[in-house]
Amino acid sequence: MTPPRHPDLTGDGAYRGAETTGFVSPASDHIEGPIDLTDVLDLRRPGRYPVKVLGEGLTHRGILPGDVLVVDAAAEPHAGVVAIVMIGGDVLLGQLIWRGGRWFLRSGRPDRLPLALTEDAEVWAVVMSLVRERV
Amino acid sequence: MPAVYGLIDGNSFYCSAERAFAPALRSQPVVVLSNNDGCAIARTPEAKALGVKMGDPFHLVRGRRELRGVQWLSSNYSLYGDMSRRVYQVLADRVPRVEPYSIDEMFLDLDIPVDLAVFCAELRREVRQVAKIPTCVGWGPTKTLAKLANGIAKDHAELGGLCDLRDPEVRADWFRRLPVDEVWGIGRRTTEKLKAGGVETIADFVALDLRAVRDSLTVVGARVQMELKGVSCLPLQLMAATRQGLACTRAFSRPVTTWEEMREAVAAYAARAGEKLREEGLEACQLAVFAHTNPHNGDPWHSANRSARIEPTSDTRTLIVEAVRLLEPAWRPGYRYAKAGIMLNDLVPAGEQARLFATRNPQASAKTMAVMDTINAQHGRGALRIASTGIARSWATKAQRLSPRYTTRWEDILQVDTY
Repeated sequence: MTPPRHPDLTGDGAYRGAETTGFVSPASDHIEGPIDLTDVLDLRRPGRYPVKVLGEGLTHRGILPGDVLVVDAAAEPHAGVVAIVMIGGDVLLGQLIWRGGRWFLRSGRPDRLPLALTEDAEVWAVVMSLVRERV
Repeated sequence: MPAVYGLIDGNSFYCSAERAFAPALRSQPVVVLSNNDGCAIARTPEAKALGVKMGDPFHLVRGRRELRGVQWLSSNYSLYGDMSRRVYQVLADRVPRVEPYSIDEMFLDLDIPVDLAVFCAELRREVRQVAKIPTCVGWGPTKTLAKLANGIAKDHAELGGLCDLRDPEVRADWFRRLPVDEVWGIGRRTTEKLKAGGVETIADFVALDLRAVRDSLTVVGARVQMELKGVSCLPLQLMAATRQGLACTRAFSRPVTTWEEMREAVAAYAARAGEKLREEGLEACQLAVFAHTNPHNGDPWHSANRSARIEPTSDTRTLIVEAVRLLEPAWRPGYRYAKAGIMLNDLVPAGEQARLFATRNPQASAKTMAVMDTINAQHGRGALRIASTGIARSWATKAQRLSPRYTTRWEDILQVDTY
């Protein structure tokens, strides 16, 4: 049987920088593996959800259409954060503001008034980080 | 053993998981259907109020005028499994121990020095906020009482989703009001038996002499009675039981009438069963295969099934060959087969069985299967498969009303519009 060309395919015997056959690898005590973005972005936490952005209403905050946001439903919403709000059957992304004792969702579009968050509105999650697949 | 057990349970769990990502569904009645969009398996209170029953066949009730506004969805188990994981994690961060009893119910160790009414209210709020699932929580000195408390919380909206059965007087009051079949572990047969003996309420059952209960309902019934009296007999189980057997069975999307298609389907199920075996590092020593018709369609009943001992293996190719070889003589042309399946039993850790007279090379087999599993892990399940499992698979399970796999598929994640 010919050995597989990709060490990945040999399963347990995968070469990670330490498993040399001739000279002992001086790196063998220091192998850490590739960086895992699941850890960096904390995706294992129960309140973390990835979502995809449609629309250009947040370009002034550097959030573009097609971006993937990692949001946290466990995070406490406060004024100034970008958050997902579920209201009247819609899922909306915007900046939370606190004005006159009430919460509003602010649009990046100059022609749109802030949307008052009524009783039935749910602040679904707060945006924590951003992933852009193609820059 | 903890002094207080809790049970937290997701309200219409599957429907709630769907509603978490689709706010438009929150104002509509929602029903989730079984495999092949067959029948109702989860309903929101609005759907229940409209008269949708558990097990109602979709094709029979969908045309009813009063059900026009109902949203019918295929079961999205990838989503439900992940939401269940989130619920578990929220709980595991808050209480000493959690037993995931089913996808939507978890037992809790609530032996903690806090005001439990306040604590459980907060637990509900947090699960709702983080894992997006509305729940009810019940608690008491035993698992059976926690389960009963949970049912009471669910049926009595005025309790705010919480029910405490620690106080014997509170328990006695509920026991007098509730029929005995509300108790976890008291099934339909037992209820009939008890009714024949004049036992209607839980109070009647608890008042029975323990020896009489043991005589007529065995030690299982006696244990239920002890638990209702506040004596804990069922500890928390923190590990899933080790597998005794493994099955892959599915109803076809349409009747299968040719041997070619049946062979394909059985090969596909054997392949999936092999994958599951290897995921768990097991091999099977016994294989059973079956196919049967559906008499509820008006078809004559016919069931083909065979089983045999096999050399311990988890090799997809071997499992396919054995399954097809076994089923072929039992298959009868002329029948409209509705369902088929593979069952693997007598599971042993891979490579442990002595193979004195092995006819195959286990090392070569393990290598080939590892390559296949790696390719499928990288490129998606079914990327590389055995040709006999079929290409078109027009018999395969249909889920035509499937929602996106919001949390487990990159292409399916929730889309949000900027305001």
